[in-house]
Amino acid sequence: MKLNIEGLLVYFPYDYIYPEQYSYMLELKRTLDAKGHGVLEMPSGTGKTISLLSLIIAYQRAFPLEVTKLIYCSRTVPEIEKVIEELRKLMEFYSKETGESNNFLALALSSRKNLCIHPEILHANIVVYSYHYLLDPKIADLVSKELAKKSVVVFDEAHNIDNVCIDSMSVNITRRTLDRCQNNVDTLQNTIHKIKETDAAKLREEYRRLVEGLKEANVARETDIYLANPVLPDEILQEAVPGTIRTAEHFVGFLRRFLEYLKSRLRVQHVVQESAPQFLKDIFDKVCIDRKPLRFCAERLQSLLRTLEIADIADFSAVTLISNFATLVSTYSQGFTIIIEPFEDRTPTIANPVLHFSCMDPSIAIKPVFQRFQSVIITSGTLSPLDIYPRILDFRPVTMASFTMTLARTCLCPLIVGRGNDQVALSSKFETREDFAVIRNYGNLLLEMSAIVPDGIVAFFTSYVYMENIVASWYEQGILENIQRNKLIFIETQDAAETSMALEKYQEACENGRGAILLSVARGKVSEGIDFVHHFGRAVIMFGVPYVYTQSRILKARLEYLRDQFQIRENDFLTFDAMRHAAQCVGRAIRGKTDYGLMIFADKRYARADKRGKLPRWIQEHINDGSLNLTVDEAVQLAKHFLRQMAQPFRQEDQLGLSLLTLEQLQSEEMLQKITQIAHQT
Amino acid sequence: MASLSEEVLLVVKKVRQRKQDGTLYLMAERIAWGPEGKDRFTVSHLYADIRCQKISPDGKAKVQLQLVLHTGESTTFHFANESSALKDREAAKELLQQLLPKFKKKANKELEEKNRMLQEDPVLFQLYKDLVVSQVISAEEFWANRLGGVNNTDPTLFNNKQEVGISGAFLADIRPQTDGCNGLRYNLTADIIESIFRTYPAVKQKYSENVPHNLTEKEFWTRFFQSHYFHRDRINTGTQDIFSECAKQDEKGLKSLVVQGVKNPLVDLLSLEDKTLDEGYGVSTTQPSTSNANRTVKESSNYAIIKRFNHHSAMVLAAGSRKGETPADQASETSSTDGNSRDSDFFQPPVKKVKLQEAIEYEDLQRENRPKTVALNLKKSDRYAHGPVPLQSQQYTTSQDIINSVNYIRHEMANYKPNLTQVVSSTAASSAIVALSPGGVLMQAGAQQAINQMVPSEVQGELKHLYVAAGELLRHFWSCFPVNTPFLEEKVINITFIGVNDYCHLC
Repeated sequence: MKLNIEGLLVYFPYDYIYPEQYSYMLELKRTLDAKGHGVLEMPSGTGKTISLLSLIIAYQRAFPLEVTKLIYCSRTVPEIEKVIEELRKLMEFYSKETGESNNFLALALSSRKNLCIHPEILHANIVVYSYHYLLDPKIADLVSKELAKKSVVVFDEAHNIDNVCIDSMSVNITRRTLDRCQNNVDTLQNTIHKIKETDAAKLREEYRRLVEGLKEANVARETDIYLANPVLPDEILQEAVPGTIRTAEHFVGFLRRFLEYLKSRLRVQHVVQESAPQFLKDIFDKVCIDRKPLRFCAERLQSLLRTLEIADIADFSAVTLISNFATLVSTYSQGFTIIIEPFEDRTPTIANPVLHFSCMDPSIAIKPVFQRFQSVIITSGTLSPLDIYPRILDFRPVTMASFTMTLARTCLCPLIVGRGNDQVALSSKFETREDFAVIRNYGNLLLEMSAIVPDGIVAFFTSYVYMENIVASWYEQGILENIQRNKLIFIETQDAAETSMALEKYQEACENGRGAILLSVARGKVSEGIDFVHHFGRAVIMFGVPYVYTQSRILKARLEYLRDQFQIRENDFLTFDAMRHAAQCVGRAIRGKTDYGLMIFADKRYARADKRGKLPRWIQEHINDGSLNLTVDEAVQLAKHFLRQMAQPFRQEDQLGLSLLTLEQLQSEEMLQKITQIAHQT
Repeated sequence: MASLSEEVLLVVKKVRQRKQDGTLYLMAERIAWGPEGKDRFTVSHLYADIRCQKISPDGKAKVQLQLVLHTGESTTFHFANESSALKDREAAKELLQQLLPKFKKKANKELEEKNRMLQEDPVLFQLYKDLVVSQVISAEEFWANRLGGVNNTDPTLFNNKQEVGISGAFLADIRPQTDGCNGLRYNLTADIIESIFRTYPAVKQKYSENVPHNLTEKEFWTRFFQSHYFHRDRINTGTQDIFSECAKQDEKGLKSLVVQGVKNPLVDLLSLEDKTLDEGYGVSTTQPSTSNANRTVKESSNYAIIKRFNHHSAMVLAAGSRKGETPADQASETSSTDGNSRDSDFFQPPVKKVKLQEAIEYEDLQRENRPKTVALNLKKSDRYAHGPVPLQSQQYTTSQDIINSVNYIRHEMANYKPNLTQVVSSTAASSAIVALSPGGVLMQAGAQQAINQMVPSEVQGELKHLYVAAGELLRHFWSCFPVNTPFLEEKVINITFIGVNDYCHLC
């Protein structure tokens, strides 16, 4: 159908539309009009992707000078492929409706083996790729540097974007890294010797260039041609490479000194935590390395590798890592922490020293993106609470909206099970984690559900260790055997190949009517990347609140940083983080309005307002007072009732006019009134 | 009748049948009885014809043995030798017990099946009488396409039973019980053994290798339950048991499955992420890592349990679908060799394409497109609604005719002027009234009598039989095409001949 979104003609490749899709496009258009950034939360299964594509492409066609490019970033390969598929559908619709073959060029970059830095990326109207191509400075420099300023950037499935940012800026150094680095440096030295004998002019030419400094990059940045690299600080662009590392031999000598210093740091006997300035002071005191040459390290190494015409850069990954670390540690006095651990906590007898250089501020990596591109859209099915993202990513959005899912029938049923039938409080909190009564009641919940829920049930635990312990305990108590009478059991392991197979078998068992249970882990790969549509997931059970492992020193440092810099209380952040993962887990089962499923939160803490309030609105609004603190038996009764209702035939006519609209229905005054209420502004 | 070449297995004298003394003979293929003093058998049954034997209870005065035939008839023999009646009967019974099953297995299954079908389906029985008994077509032809299942390898058709899968919890059903003196008792049933064999073919192989040559059945299962293989959660103690090989085999099978990878790209966790960070970058796992190297004993045991459950479920699932699996596997193999090589970047594997399409489809956003149906086009819908009505000799009046005549009569009546000088006689008037009353001569067309009320039920039944028989014949007729053997050609000619002669008056 052809839609009129505040005067913009939008081709939408379906005969019907969900009201929230219309509302979503409306907000999106306002964001583009304002040339600002937006945060939009809309449940999965309501056609978010196609709404995004339809509107932005229509906008691009209508205002080719205002928006020149759409950069669509998603997280997983299947997600990227789905976007491409939807795009194809939209393009087919365009050429069918307009009669002209489309002259739109869309480009998908996925998986490194097809990494294509072809200039076509500059001409494409649409680029679809993974987050890393934009957020990881190492790749962004290669792929995305020259993308036009007038681009719209979309981060889909963006609920974990802060972690991606942090990952892309963090470095870990082990003994192995240093050994490999040592080899790299030796190789470099040999190559320099050889070149000196054969082609000394080349090195002289490099020297000359370095005296000139990084002027080129500076000009580019000032004239706004390039996406800035967060690793490369502004100041150094104006300066020449310091004399101490200007010649190739001096630089290699410098690297050696730095390496020896790092080796000495890894010889610690106890845990050390320090800030970047402390580290710089120490390195100056011990080996007289100044801050300035360190800052040029990454750039200087790149130059050297280019000059030496080294083909396989991958062989030099260790020395690249070290020089990136050198530049980062000397550039950012804030937002990073250095932790040196001589051994793993669990195995204090085995020496395995690691230097963690951890980024604690996600805004560092994403800052150039917000600064460069005129509109950046952060969107996902679960982004609650919305206001936390602008805070931790440090940007000011023009739109923030959460959309509900309009439903002709309530196809999701969130239940909070807080007690066992014996009134024992259910919780995964640390004090009762080993409690037999809790484990038994959790088992009982799964057993009861396995008897009444058709086809597939997915259960999530808070961590692998927790799951392994519970499974072992259920096994000893014979609970698993009883569950096996109802359904087959498959369990996620830390081996991805093994889990993939278990997943496929799980789906097979759901498909052939036998029914199965998948035991899985929040924050695991399954919880983040696999959908359980229709009968593949009629119920999701979330055992416990999936808090992150809080004993980690890196996490503690990050929490401290959040408190000091962003005034976010530790508990607030931890709860937010736990709830976004819980929402991700339970949201796996509802993938559309024709789908249905139970969402069972098995922990009494979910009933508390501070937890519940952090769930996405589209889940929250279906939790009523009657489903707050249920026993297992009560939950079973409610579930039975729900499943029986849902099993009735559900036809298109049932939805029409309520949660599904024709063009005429959409245009009615009354409906437009209603639609304005769907978007919940914050 | 008694041919000398027959091998006589048992002779029992002094056996009475219908109050006559005689001798009972059990031969290789039949049982026979001849009255005393005569050298011919008055009773003779092929073993294949016997459904079962019955014996009188031990306490009874008369020692009898009854044979029940498939036809339902029965023959009773009375063992009359006072001293050894019981012994004689036991001897005959034992021998029959051995002999009957052999024959039963062969022929009777089919026969029984035919019998059952005829009994259960009166229409089929009638058809059988019409076509086979009256020798229109031969019995073999009649059964040929009805009983396809019997000789077929696929037992599902003729059993009408579904293949039964395996309960996921069958191992749970063998809950051990302590026997009170430091031992465990496992209760095994044939079903459970069957389940174990189907789920773990490796165990079955071990069984056939070792039982009964090396081990008794009991020993075999005892070892099975004692083995590490059964108690997978126990860490291997390194004992040499016959099942360690099974475990290895399973491991291998599991590995090969894992290596093979998954067909559905949407569940492939290995290719989920576009780019894993380079080594050395990223926040190292916030969870305590559990690499294999430094697991505690408890953790390894937990891991073993998890692995075991995954394996068990996969095996149970595979056992349930093992039958249908082979063709699918072949199909997938051929499809992967037809040039669509997997690592080709230009081809998306078809499975992937389909799965992606499915994933992005919003069925409710699209206009429903139901399969197009063809509307039934009836020329005379009243005939469809009412069934056949007897054909009247008079002209068929259309509704337009009737309307016209009603109008005409109304018009006539409007202008009616009684002509009292020319009234009809009273007899003529009353006969006219009779003729116009319901049931009268002129009113017959009005009362629509359904043909099923007019034709006697015998005739109707006959007609039905003829119709069904003709239909069956036609079915045979059409199934002969394309005529590519002399046998079929002959059959076509035969049927055509029969059809023209016997059934043409139907047309």
